Amino acid sequence: MAESSDLDRQIEQLKKCEIIKEAEVKALCAKAREILIEESNVQRVDSPVTVCGDIHGQFYDLKELFKVGGDVPETNYLFMGDFVDRGFYSVETFLLLLALKVAFLLDIYECMNFNFSLYNFIVYVLSQVRYPDRITLIRGNHESRQITQVYGFYDECLRKYGSITVWRYCTEIFDYLSLSAIIDGKIFCVHGGLSPSIQTLDQIRTIDRKQEFKIFDFLSIKVLHTSRLMMQVPHDGPMCDLLWSDPEDTQGWGVSPRGAGYLFGSDVVAQFNSANDIDMICRAHQLVMEGYKWHFNETVLTVWSAPNYCYRQCGNVAAILELNEHLQRDFTIFEAAPQESRGIPSKKPQADYFL
Amino acid sequence: MIKDMADDEAIQATNDDASECKRYAVQLGYWCDPFISLFVKQTARKAPEINRGYYARVKGIELFVENFLKLSGGKGQIINLGAGFDTLYWRLRETGNSPANFVELDFPSITAKKCYHIKKHKQLIDMLNTEDGEIRFSTTDLHAANYHLVGTDLRHIAELNNKLAQAEVNFNSPTMFLAECVLVYVDASATSSLLKWLAGKFPNSLFVSYEQVNMKDKFGQVMLSNLRSRGCLLAGVEDCESLETQQRRFTINNWEGTSAWTMVDVYDSLPVMDRSRIEHIEMLDERELLTQLLQHYCIAVAWNGQTFKNLSIAQG
Repeated sequence: MAESSDLDRQIEQLKKCEIIKEAEVKALCAKAREILIEESNVQRVDSPVTVCGDIHGQFYDLKELFKVGGDVPETNYLFMGDFVDRGFYSVETFLLLLALKVAFLLDIYECMNFNFSLYNFIVYVLSQVRYPDRITLIRGNHESRQITQVYGFYDECLRKYGSITVWRYCTEIFDYLSLSAIIDGKIFCVHGGLSPSIQTLDQIRTIDRKQEFKIFDFLSIKVLHTSRLMMQVPHDGPMCDLLWSDPEDTQGWGVSPRGAGYLFGSDVVAQFNSANDIDMICRAHQLVMEGYKWHFNETVLTVWSAPNYCYRQCGNVAAILELNEHLQRDFTIFEAAPQESRGIPSKKPQADYFL
Repeated sequence: MIKDMADDEAIQATNDDASECKRYAVQLGYWCDPFISLFVKQTARKAPEINRGYYARVKGIELFVENFLKLSGGKGQIINLGAGFDTLYWRLRETGNSPANFVELDFPSITAKKCYHIKKHKQLIDMLNTEDGEIRFSTTDLHAANYHLVGTDLRHIAELNNKLAQAEVNFNSPTMFLAECVLVYVDASATSSLLKWLAGKFPNSLFVSYEQVNMKDKFGQVMLSNLRSRGCLLAGVEDCESLETQQRRFTINNWEGTSAWTMVDVYDSLPVMDRSRIEHIEMLDERELLTQLLQHYCIAVAWNGQTFKNLSIAQG
């Protein structure tokens, strides 16, 4: 039971917004990798489930989310990526979510007292036969070596650990995160949206997610090293699109002003949903001042879970989507954790404006 | 950047911030400015939405400068109110497209620093030289043949009048006033006196102002409190409630006509090719944040006389 109690202690520590040791991060990531490697690119999730959007290292607001949504594992959660960057506690946020995920499966393993060689097999069986209540994490566009070097996670790891080792462990785990999820076969969840090179869920299932992003990120790192300032990298391909695209009030496909992914119109969604026999696409990726937003006659939904986003700049509320066992929807809106419940970040928060 | 003295360090520091942001964006290749790095040191990384926002601001202002120079046919003068470390004079010299006279005004503490940087860099001095002209320096002021850098306080009209005379300003020449994030720091009554005085003195003129707008909504209120916590008070924010209040500020102070656009409009009006180029410099993680920022800034223009009537952001 040593492993489990270690992990419990680490979770308690992370819940207080304290970092865990580098060696503990390494061990946690190793366990997480074994679980994540078995997950499908379209991870199956059962209702009831609570679906969450971007968190962006807003640790105290994540605690607020658990307060309104319920604790793990009593509530089954699906987080649609962007755990890190922009906020001050990306390390604590990502590691807590990862530890909660690992802890739940480790408990099952230890309770059943199987020997360790069967571990992968059990995880596999659990994920294929029954989908236990737990926490599902899929990948956002910020879960990338390149993007985290621009938006803060890299700097935060360096600042908190004095080296980039923890950043390396975490970004390696990013490569193993699933790309999407499907709830009861009816609700397709993805961080960004659709891709012109993907028509069916089976096409997503055949992507080799570990390979593709390694190439993608390898190129970007090489470019970063040769020219530290310019980041002209080949950012395209179906995986990139799933993480970067946005719905837009238009028909067909459009060029995205983000510089990555595409804009997709209502006809594209209608075709995708009908081809895959799904009711709706649930995604995150875009700040919504009201916390959530419907598109295209309730066939696409944006959920945003980072209140008063970006160093307390935006003044927005956040939302989570609670789906019951009949997939009936209930939105819960929540606001940023009050100032007195937050720690004082070591780096003074500053929102940027044009002065 | 101009407001009451003494307690205004935070407001004067906005010049450093703006200059650093511009330098960073230039370094990434958003636009070309060989001079900004002579005024401000390398800085920490800025977010892509900030870089894009500065790009829109610089290009938006440039558009009106180009139009002004075209319409004034080489006889025009540009007066930059609260110029900070702006490099427009040198950028125009480089393209061989200078106005007849170029005047920069700011707090003496800022013009002193600018004088220092200019003196330090031969590249900047050389471009101030003309065949006949000598360059006169004091601690805070600099006078060259067609460039004048003057320390003053915009709230003191009599002093301003003197300073403009020293800067060889001709009140009857076609004149463009530039004010980037300046009036928002000045209280409404001082701005009123200034605008009224300028309207009376310069019958053939164009005023181009870039600053906050739509400040009554949630994002605007959060911005106000964030800036306040940095000691940066927006004394003139009352006029930043909407495009209408921005325009009214000019019309009630005797300017003949005005127009105003949010920076969303300005960004969208930029040539498609240019936009597509800069949108591929860095990937933008959050479109809405950029949109929110752009929605809360505007370019307002006002004119006196016929020459600059109805200038707009429409290109081509």
